[in-house]
Amino acid sequence: MMRLSVSRPEKLYSTPITDIRNTVGNVPMEWYQDYPHIGYNLDGKKIFKPIRNKDELDEFLDKMENPDYWRTVHDKTTASDIRLTDEQVDLVHRLQKGQFGDVNFNEYEPSVDFFTNEVMIHPVTNRPQDKRSFIPSLIEKEKVSKLVHAIKMGWIKPRKPKETTPQYYDLWAKEDPNAILGRHKMHVPAPKMRLPGHEESYNPPPEYLLTEEERLVWEQQDAEDRKLPFLPQKHSCLRAVPAFSRFIHERFERCLDLYLCPRQRKMRVNVNPEDLIPKLPKPKDLQPFPTTMSLVYRGHTSLVRSISASPTGQWLVSGSDDFTVRFWEVNTGRCMKTLEVGGAVKSVAWNPNPAVCLVAVERTVLLLNPSLGDRLVVSSTDQLITAYEPPEEDKEQAVTWALSEGLEHNMGHRLTLTHPKAVKQVVWHGKGDYLSSVMPDNSSNLQVLIHQVSKRRTQNPFRKNKGLVQCVSFHPLRPYFFVATQRYVRVYNLIKQELTKKLMTNCKWISSMAIHPGGDNLICGSYDCRLAWFDLDLSTKPYKMLRHHKKALRGVAYHRNYPLFASGADDGSVIVCHGMVYNDLLQNPLIVPVKVLKGHQITHDLGVLDVTFHPTQPWVFSSGADTTIRLFT
Amino acid sequence: MSQLQTRFFTDNKKYSVDDVPFSIPAASEVQELSNVINKLLEAKNGSHSQIEFDFLVRGQFLRTSLSNHMEAEGISTEDVVEIEYVERFTAPQPEECMMHDDWISSVEADSEWILTGSYDKTARIWSLEGKAVMTVAGHTDVVKDVAWVRRDGLTSLLLTASLDQTILLWEWNSERNKLKARHCCRGHAGSVDTIATDPTRTKFCSGSWDKMLKIWSAVATEEEEEVEEPPSRPRKKQKTEQLGLTRTPLMTLSGHNEAVSSVLWLDSEEICSASWDHTIRLWDAETGSVKTTLTGSKVFNHISYSPLCRRLASGSTDRHVRLWDPRSKDGSLVLLSLTSHSGWVTAVKWAPSHEHQLVSGSLDNLVKLWDTRSCKTPLTRCSVWTGLTAG
Repeated sequence: MMRLSVSRPEKLYSTPITDIRNTVGNVPMEWYQDYPHIGYNLDGKKIFKPIRNKDELDEFLDKMENPDYWRTVHDKTTASDIRLTDEQVDLVHRLQKGQFGDVNFNEYEPSVDFFTNEVMIHPVTNRPQDKRSFIPSLIEKEKVSKLVHAIKMGWIKPRKPKETTPQYYDLWAKEDPNAILGRHKMHVPAPKMRLPGHEESYNPPPEYLLTEEERLVWEQQDAEDRKLPFLPQKHSCLRAVPAFSRFIHERFERCLDLYLCPRQRKMRVNVNPEDLIPKLPKPKDLQPFPTTMSLVYRGHTSLVRSISASPTGQWLVSGSDDFTVRFWEVNTGRCMKTLEVGGAVKSVAWNPNPAVCLVAVERTVLLLNPSLGDRLVVSSTDQLITAYEPPEEDKEQAVTWALSEGLEHNMGHRLTLTHPKAVKQVVWHGKGDYLSSVMPDNSSNLQVLIHQVSKRRTQNPFRKNKGLVQCVSFHPLRPYFFVATQRYVRVYNLIKQELTKKLMTNCKWISSMAIHPGGDNLICGSYDCRLAWFDLDLSTKPYKMLRHHKKALRGVAYHRNYPLFASGADDGSVIVCHGMVYNDLLQNPLIVPVKVLKGHQITHDLGVLDVTFHPTQPWVFSSGADTTIRLFT
Repeated sequence: MSQLQTRFFTDNKKYSVDDVPFSIPAASEVQELSNVINKLLEAKNGSHSQIEFDFLVRGQFLRTSLSNHMEAEGISTEDVVEIEYVERFTAPQPEECMMHDDWISSVEADSEWILTGSYDKTARIWSLEGKAVMTVAGHTDVVKDVAWVRRDGLTSLLLTASLDQTILLWEWNSERNKLKARHCCRGHAGSVDTIATDPTRTKFCSGSWDKMLKIWSAVATEEEEEVEEPPSRPRKKQKTEQLGLTRTPLMTLSGHNEAVSSVLWLDSEEICSASWDHTIRLWDAETGSVKTTLTGSKVFNHISYSPLCRRLASGSTDRHVRLWDPRSKDGSLVLLSLTSHSGWVTAVKWAPSHEHQLVSGSLDNLVKLWDTRSCKTPLTRCSVWTGLTAG
């Protein structure tokens, strides 16, 4: 507790006799300038200004002469001059210096401590302690529980203490552990060096020494080809043996072997040879296909070169070297008609429009109307053929068209096309109006002719001779024309009149060709026992080469509806294969040989000469050199 | 050498033995059993002559020894075995050989006469002894099928179907031996391969290579009622007068995708046709719609129906004779497949009187007689001299 010393202030200035304490207060004294009084005293009586008669001059004189001038002060409240006492002057001086006003005041008195390190008897305060000093704080508990709740709710995330794990650098982190382990496991030691044999001896037996010729040969060979990298030498005694010249070279080679030759352990592959064979479906899953011989059509007296089935499937036409063309009924084997044509028949083809049939005989191509089948179709075909108007200008054609009349007409001939050379093959276009004939000749460019029956016009589509033409074919759907020469098959675009593709068969001599009804695949049979299947979208090389036959292939054919194709060869057999072409252009065709049909006899080294399928049933016809035509079903 | 208890029975009263169980060695074959029966019959009836018998155990013909058969069929040897015996069918001997000038395409026999169609564009009528009675000429092309329509007393109607797309209806007076073409049925667009007359004898159906079946009336009508002759075609008129009046079909049934090879009437309402598109179809003759389709895998050459056992037999190009149930609703239900031929089966025919027998002819020059109860082998076979058999 502080002890205050309160002292009464003394009067600082002395007043004249009466206590004229001005009671006007704190007002500017300029207000009483004009009045004779300066204020009022306690009793209320005016306090008159003392007479003053001091003017400026007097003031000046006073200043100069009055020795107390410097200690007189004009008091405004009483309007009188007051002479300061010595104590007052001393006080003023002290104040001006910045000291304490009171003389008696000692500012350097020692402080009185309230709180000391000495233990006192009495405490500074005697206030008793609160209860909260002793018990745990409720507010803090609330705050802590709020924090805990917040942490639990995840609003506040407590800081995890940092784990101080030692950090180090992994030297081998970049290396592949498998490689190292692999290297360790698959360690293949270097092969041991060959121990020196008799050739290295300083005195080898005479048979190990090279003779002159052998030495010459050795010198001429390249270093890699030599069996021994040195020449064996004979020395009489060890003393005569020179320094080993190849020392460094030998060591060098060994070092190269040790560290430069890559060595790898080759695992012996345990593969069953059966796994390598592609899984083809079994033939009995690929039914229907022809399996047995059912009918033999007998009647010809010489080898039957060519057969063709009518589009309805009821008739079969065949041409033979005995100068006849025969028409057969398919389901009974009966020969319905025989026509003498006066020359060996090389090729027959039935028009897709079922009433007309083509025959190639020697130098002429005959269009026949065999009058089999629907009467209406037959008569309308006749009408079509006769309803022909010759054009105004008569162009010179390579082939003469002639209408048959009289006896020939009764026999069935309708049109005769006389060619300059022997015709080997005739083939119809799919629509039935155009046909093409082949006159093979190595030197001319008039080998292939395209005729139009309705306009009786012949054209030679080719200007240059590309080789001996073997057979031709029209594309079933698009305007393409296939010409097979001896080694290549050329595909021409008839509308653009240019060569589209040249297919490289690996065959020496193509004999026959057939086009898949879908139009994207082609097979060629050749005289060197090969059958090449081309996928026209895939490449110009064959997709597959089949070598099922032992002798030359003579005829190949596709089935119109079933995924089958057949090939007939000189070994007297017809091999039927399943050839499935998929509609989606992703899968390759599946080719599975399915049946070997035997039945023909080999006559004069010729076997089956022509093969064709029935248009609707899975049956195949084959004609042979044994004068028969056989039906396999 | 074990013994079996057997009891014999038969339908034929002439050859019945006592209904007593006999003890027979188990390994006995058909020949030995036949001897046993013969001995029994001799004991009963002194004037009995040796007859070959055939034995059936539980409806199946006995072909191997008795014990093997019972083992195969799973018949227990403890009980008495019931064995039925019938007279054995021997191979028919060819009696007469009737010559045609050309291939015979079809044969249809009647109780008195035999009608044959041939590839020489004619049909002939023969007596049962083999004497040629009449030649039916008139077609411009090969005759493929012939059929009798009606035979009452003196006049009879017959049909010939040919490759020239027409069917001719002839009237034959057997007493005076005069033949007249009554009608020429035109309408087909391809060769007519097969015809069949309905049980009421008023209609007939024809199937052809143009994939259609056509139903025609088989009644021979007089001239005035038929088609009026347009005067603008005198040549045609002359022809038709010679061949009879032109007749158009009553109904055309279409549905097959390939040539129709064989048709027949199941009853007067239903027609059954077999075709090269590997199906047999049953049609309703009133509406002309397909009732059922039985699908096979090979071309059908010929079919035959037996009302006795209600089964359809078909001959195909794959050497089997198949039996079908035409009433089944499913697509194809081959009940039985008889295999013994080595060539196309071109003709099948049920025996008209016997429930289980049918004959099949094939391109392997053999005619075989089958019993459906013994399905593994035919009963008999006889070989035909040349080439095809087609009727």
